[in-house]
Amino acid sequence: MPATIFIVDDSATILMSMEAILTKAGFAVSKAASGEEAMSKLQGGLKPSLIITDIHMGAMNGIELIKKVRVMPGFQFIPILVVTTESQQSKRDEARAAKATGWLVKPVQPDDLVRVVKQILPNG
Amino acid sequence: MDTDKSAILPLVLATVLAALSSAAAGWLAGAIGAALAAPFGVLLGYAIGRHWGAFPSRVRLSLFRVADELAQYRAFTRLMRDQGDRITETTDDAAQIIASGLHEIDAKVASLIERIDTEMPGPDGEVFKHMAVSIGDPIVGMFGKLQFQDVTRQQLAFLARLSHVLDEHMVALAQQMGDRRALDRVGQFKQMFDQALNDCVMSSQRDDHHAASGTDFKEAVGPKVELF
Repeated sequence: MPATIFIVDDSATILMSMEAILTKAGFAVSKAASGEEAMSKLQGGLKPSLIITDIHMGAMNGIELIKKVRVMPGFQFIPILVVTTESQQSKRDEARAAKATGWLVKPVQPDDLVRVVKQILPNG
Repeated sequence: MDTDKSAILPLVLATVLAALSSAAAGWLAGAIGAALAAPFGVLLGYAIGRHWGAFPSRVRLSLFRVADELAQYRAFTRLMRDQGDRITETTDDAAQIIASGLHEIDAKVASLIERIDTEMPGPDGEVFKHMAVSIGDPIVGMFGKLQFQDVTRQQLAFLARLSHVLDEHMVALAQQMGDRRALDRVGQFKQMFDQALNDCVMSSQRDDHHAASGTDFKEAVGPKVELF
């Protein structure tokens, strides 16, 4: 059974694009268009192998989402990748402090994305 | 020219009186004590307040006109935001249609390869299969390129945010022109701008802004891919 990757982004284009790239690489994909929707799916029982989130989203930004996910039982060690247009060092430090696993700057080359995901999920 | 002078004189006088009020109140505070200084300051303030009311009507009218013009700039910034929204909407629609099309092509190519495998064994089948694979190969790269839409969307969101900052500042300025008591309530434009810059955009844009404003400052950025 393929590993499930949960993508959180408020851009429908990004969701479609990443879903296609990761599905072709053999992963199962679940999606959410906001931090709130993501929390609702996770609280509803979704248990992905990896979460990929954007930073700049509506009411709940990516950093807040990571902080909320990290305090959920069973989610302390699930890898979380930030994929964003933001490349500022201070924002990276914020993500690192919130216990993100890694940081990718958009636009992400499909090969880079798949390589990083496979690096994080060697058995995925 | 005489009329202009007569308009400016009360302003100068009021400013001098304000400075004197502050200095005299301070001097009195040291020399006589706060108990006497405070009423003295209030008294001078009252005198200045009465003097402001004596502005020539021509000056007051000009101030209100400028305030009104400032408030009207909001219509232009609103238009700019609407235009940005339309661009975002159009590119979003187009990107999604292209993404759906790519999905469909990808699925058809996969199905074609499957049928070639089952129905055309042998060297001919291999040739066709090779051709089908070469059609499907660029699709993943195209999906990656569609991220341009999100980058554009965020750049436009930054412009919209800036226009809101301008709006707020113009309203504050307009209030200030018509009501001097609002003087201390005007927001800090630079701080609002910096906040928008910090919240919405990419380092490259912030670097552009620093270069345009004459600040030789490059933001520290990390690699495109980084695992913590």
